Amino acid sequence: MKYLLILIPMALLPLVLNDFWLSQVLTRALIMGTIALSLSFLATYLGVVSFAQVTLAGVAGYAIAYFGPNTVGVGVPLPLIVTIPLALILAMAAGAMMGYIARRSRGIYAIMITLAIGVAFFYFTRQNYVLFNGFTGFSGVIAPALGEGNWGDPKPLYFLSLIVAAICVGLVQGFVRSPLGLAVQAVRDAPGRLLALGIPTTLPIVAAFAFSGLIAGSGGILNVWFQERVSSFSVGFGPIIDILIISVIGGLRHPTGAFVGAIVYVVLDIFAIDLIDRDRFNLLIGIVLLLIIVAAPNGLTQLITDGAKKLRGGAAKSRTT
Amino acid sequence: MTLFFVVTLNGLTLAALYFLAASGFSLIFGLMRTVNMAHGALLLLGGYVGWSVADATGLWALGVLAGGLAAALAGAMVQIGVLGWMQGDELRQTLASIAISIILADLMLWIWGGNTYQVRTPDWLSGGVRLEMLGIGYAKVRISLMIFALVVGVALWLFIQKTRIGAVIRAGVDDQQMLRALGYPINKIFILVFAMGGMLAGMAGVIAGSALSIAPGTDLQFLLSSLVVVIVGGMGSVGGAALGALLIGLAEQYGLAYAPTYAAVVTFVIMVFVLAVRPQGLLGRSEK
Amino acid sequence: MATEPLLRLRDINLHYGSSHVLHDVSLDLGDRPLGILGRNGVGKTSICNAIFGLAPITSGQIMLGDQDLSKLPPEKRAQAGLGYVPQGRRIFRSLTVDEHLRILERKGAAWSIERVYATFPRLKERRRNLGDRLSGGEQQMLAISRALLLNPKVLVLDEPTEGLAPAIVSDVIDLIKQVVSEGTAVLLVEQNLHAALSAVDDVAIVVGGEVIEQVTATTLENDAAMQKKHLGLEAAKH
Repeated sequence: MKYLLILIPMALLPLVLNDFWLSQVLTRALIMGTIALSLSFLATYLGVVSFAQVTLAGVAGYAIAYFGPNTVGVGVPLPLIVTIPLALILAMAAGAMMGYIARRSRGIYAIMITLAIGVAFFYFTRQNYVLFNGFTGFSGVIAPALGEGNWGDPKPLYFLSLIVAAICVGLVQGFVRSPLGLAVQAVRDAPGRLLALGIPTTLPIVAAFAFSGLIAGSGGILNVWFQERVSSFSVGFGPIIDILIISVIGGLRHPTGAFVGAIVYVVLDIFAIDLIDRDRFNLLIGIVLLLIIVAAPNGLTQLITDGAKKLRGGAAKSRTT
Repeated sequence: MTLFFVVTLNGLTLAALYFLAASGFSLIFGLMRTVNMAHGALLLLGGYVGWSVADATGLWALGVLAGGLAAALAGAMVQIGVLGWMQGDELRQTLASIAISIILADLMLWIWGGNTYQVRTPDWLSGGVRLEMLGIGYAKVRISLMIFALVVGVALWLFIQKTRIGAVIRAGVDDQQMLRALGYPINKIFILVFAMGGMLAGMAGVIAGSALSIAPGTDLQFLLSSLVVVIVGGMGSVGGAALGALLIGLAEQYGLAYAPTYAAVVTFVIMVFVLAVRPQGLLGRSEK
Repeated sequence: MATEPLLRLRDINLHYGSSHVLHDVSLDLGDRPLGILGRNGVGKTSICNAIFGLAPITSGQIMLGDQDLSKLPPEKRAQAGLGYVPQGRRIFRSLTVDEHLRILERKGAAWSIERVYATFPRLKERRRNLGDRLSGGEQQMLAISRALLLNPKVLVLDEPTEGLAPAIVSDVIDLIKQVVSEGTAVLLVEQNLHAALSAVDDVAIVVGGEVIEQVTATTLENDAAMQKKHLGLEAAKH
């Protein structure tokens, strides 16, 4: 119910905001938030911080570009009704594969392995021309037509991103209550105990990664329509760290916090130019990240919840005195 | 055949660099369970400082020393100022070290700009030498790099295995809590190890800047190679870092020479294969 | 009996997460060696963790002489004069016997490496062996030697006879008696009642994280009902 309180005002925002705010701030934040949601989902419910969610998003994005319209003359155009499911399935398959590779690794080992996978993919896209068109990647990846324009126009893409984000949040909440989702959380809490009971942990881990691939892939499709291009830079170390920063700002243990983190990140990105030299954005975001990790290790979402609780508690106390 | 020898030597050169970079990274991980994501930034910092000192004084060896010391100091400061406060929370430390690497990388970009630097080597390191046995010529600086890595590796091994401080570090790797309960201030040992890891990285940076070149992005390249090297070789052992560096360095160069399209994938396949067979790495010890 | 106790625990409470494992534990340790007895899982090791700061106490005070240890980190407590022989021995597996001793030896102290080797000739024979290549008895000798090299005022031993052959158990007990006779205060946590009773003068019985009885060793030795009730021992077993 509380989500409607957020969704309805957000659905009305296009009435008051101009296209810049809509695209460059809100749509971008929704898309990055969706990809970061897939990371926070894994961190919260499987207890694994994956550095390769951008890679999964990239797989879906590359699939849309390769099997859809582009201006670089690489790929096999397929009808939209095939392309979108195919992109999502590929992202899920990539997720499943990653989960399988990392199935025996936890904590920092999982970080290192997923990071290595992510960066290996980055280098691979740069060197492979047949599938990824190398360094330059794909451009002119136009979203499906809609009336006179297309789905990539500011207002349609905003609504689409909002709906996709809402569905993804809903999917996450459904997944974690399903038997498979409960098994995933059991793996997080006591992997040894499950093995001792004879319950294999591989399936839940692979399933969680595949599911995160679905979420990340959805974000990846929106992103390629938003940018109208996808290249090695879309899956490089920069975007990997950006998504991590967003999840950390929002709180790694708060899946929906990813969207809070995304808004903060995007706003900082846009308005850093007014605060400091544009070239020093990384310095700013690095310091913000460090401050959050030092002062609010559970992220802004937790900080806000705690603050609200304290305020409410304080108000209650002042009434009684 | 000539190509094969040259590629092999290139692979060994790269392996030597990877080893210098990864040994400090592995040392820090072994003792503290912290993945120091700022390791690449420390390496690049050492490289830049080394370049500046060598450029100003004309003394290459002083540059190597200064680069090592600068990175050692920075490493110790990272541990004292940030990571030490989060002891026991490895994930948080890892994330904090990412933040530090972002900050350091941007500060370095600010100071040294986006240029590519090459540290000028002294005359006795310049030029090439003819290797009669293989029938090829090879750059002196690269051969010296291999010798240097070998010397550092042996020295590091002796330090860890044969000295009292080395024994304390090994005890800390085995059982931190017990070492503390016997009166050893683990935090000071952590700072020492971080400084040592920084020192190794900083020297590697100057040497990478002499044998190849350094620029923004070098930090990332060596962070990632260190990651893969320790995943493959096994965490926390000098031998593991050496074996991992050899495998990855050679594989990358052979890949680049004989199958350029798939060079990046070769490394990846090695890593996945090792993970499948020995998740703790080839020479790593399994977790208790 | 008139002397001030050396190590004093006052109303110690300890929680692991939400479970409350120690309830207002108070103990005094002076010249007379003290045994802490209780069944498995009643919080005996938690008392050691509290003393050494390996688990943070929720409330209470730990005093060594005039010094308040309650807030100090483990290394400071060891430096203040506590020696620890932990449960399971916790030998460093990648250090040789000699290295274990070398990293702990203090110049000019009562216990030196030579004295350890003279006391345990077996350790001298094995001095080049790694920690995880030693037998249980050898590991126990090493764990005790390691703590003695700190020349502690108080030696805390957590189940030092666990898993040892009877002959070795009596060696360990003799060594503890010797340490006591040289003026070191000893706190012995044990499950092995008979070993404990032969080494200590006083006994504290722990049940459910609480000290419920403090008696002399002789009293407990002669009270089969008390043994059975709190320690679950069948008198017939003896």
